[in-house]
Amino acid sequence: MMNERLPIAEIWVYLSGSPLFALILTLATYQLGYTLYVKANRNPIVNPVAISVLLATFCIYAIDMPYQKYFEGAQFVHFLLGTATVALAVPIYRGCSSLKGKLVPMTLALLIGSAVSIGSAVSIASMLGAGDNIVGSMYAKSVTAPIAMGIAERIHVSPTLTAVFTVATGMLGAILAPFIMNFLRIKPWWIRGTAIGVGAHGLGITRAFSVNEEAGTYASMAMGLNGVLSAVLLPIVVNYLRS
Amino acid sequence: MINGLVQLLIWQGLGELVSILLLPNIPGPVLGLLFLLAFLLVKGEVNQPLGMVADSFRQHLGLLFVPASVGVILFLPDLKTHALAVTAALLISVVLTIATTALVLKFFAKRAHDE
Repeated sequence: MMNERLPIAEIWVYLSGSPLFALILTLATYQLGYTLYVKANRNPIVNPVAISVLLATFCIYAIDMPYQKYFEGAQFVHFLLGTATVALAVPIYRGCSSLKGKLVPMTLALLIGSAVSIGSAVSIASMLGAGDNIVGSMYAKSVTAPIAMGIAERIHVSPTLTAVFTVATGMLGAILAPFIMNFLRIKPWWIRGTAIGVGAHGLGITRAFSVNEEAGTYASMAMGLNGVLSAVLLPIVVNYLRS
Repeated sequence: MINGLVQLLIWQGLGELVSILLLPNIPGPVLGLLFLLAFLLVKGEVNQPLGMVADSFRQHLGLLFVPASVGVILFLPDLKTHALAVTAALLISVVLTIATTALVLKFFAKRAHDE
């Protein structure tokens, strides 16, 4: 009996000690989530990231693995966030040709949109008595996750909570955006795209591309520009507010 | 594919370098993004390997923030206590953000149309 169980126990010790386990867990849960997402006709409610996070969190909780241990393995995926941020230059560049004459309104809309996003989230959270940790992480949640986490580190708030809030925002935005636009009777694709790019980041872009090519291009560009503007301005604003 | 990845990593490295040496307030990858954008604007085209890697990153951007988001496990008690505040803040903020952005653009589009 002992002889039969020992090898399995050893394999387990080896696996859970190496980065492999965390990598498999991260990628396999995401793959599962993505498959479900495609099967559900890319419905934003079936969000692959949310599914992956739920399953992976449940697994490491069930086997009692400390988060730090998990992250040691998963950091190889995490590292690529920076590279993915650089890659956002490509959709921005592709959208540039259609930007003619719209740069000023778009920049203004992005600035006002972000200000509303941050102002409302931070004030509602602090009014309802959320702690510093949560309120702080509301600052950066209005931009795409890779940039948001970079900003979070700069303004000394939790990158983790920021990432979670950003993903939740993306899901909510992608689900709600069409209703908001129809309610406000907004028809031009470029306006719908831009608004969803600011409000719902990556998920919004996916949604926009599935409806209309022009909306998708504008959404990508809006998300990228919004991220850059926020990365430059947010640390300055936050430092000013805190001093 | 490797070719595109190498290009991105080099721009990222350059961004990190400038961030550390000159502009500590801006994350390195964001500077990398700006450098690459400037490069593309000067070049006037996206080379094929770069476009391919950028597209696959965009498609699976979500995967990359799974590791950090799993850290939510550390904050569960905190989030449970403030569930209402978090939900209300996220929900109201996202509706206001999308509505405001769209209305500002609509205002400008209408003005441009009237002129």
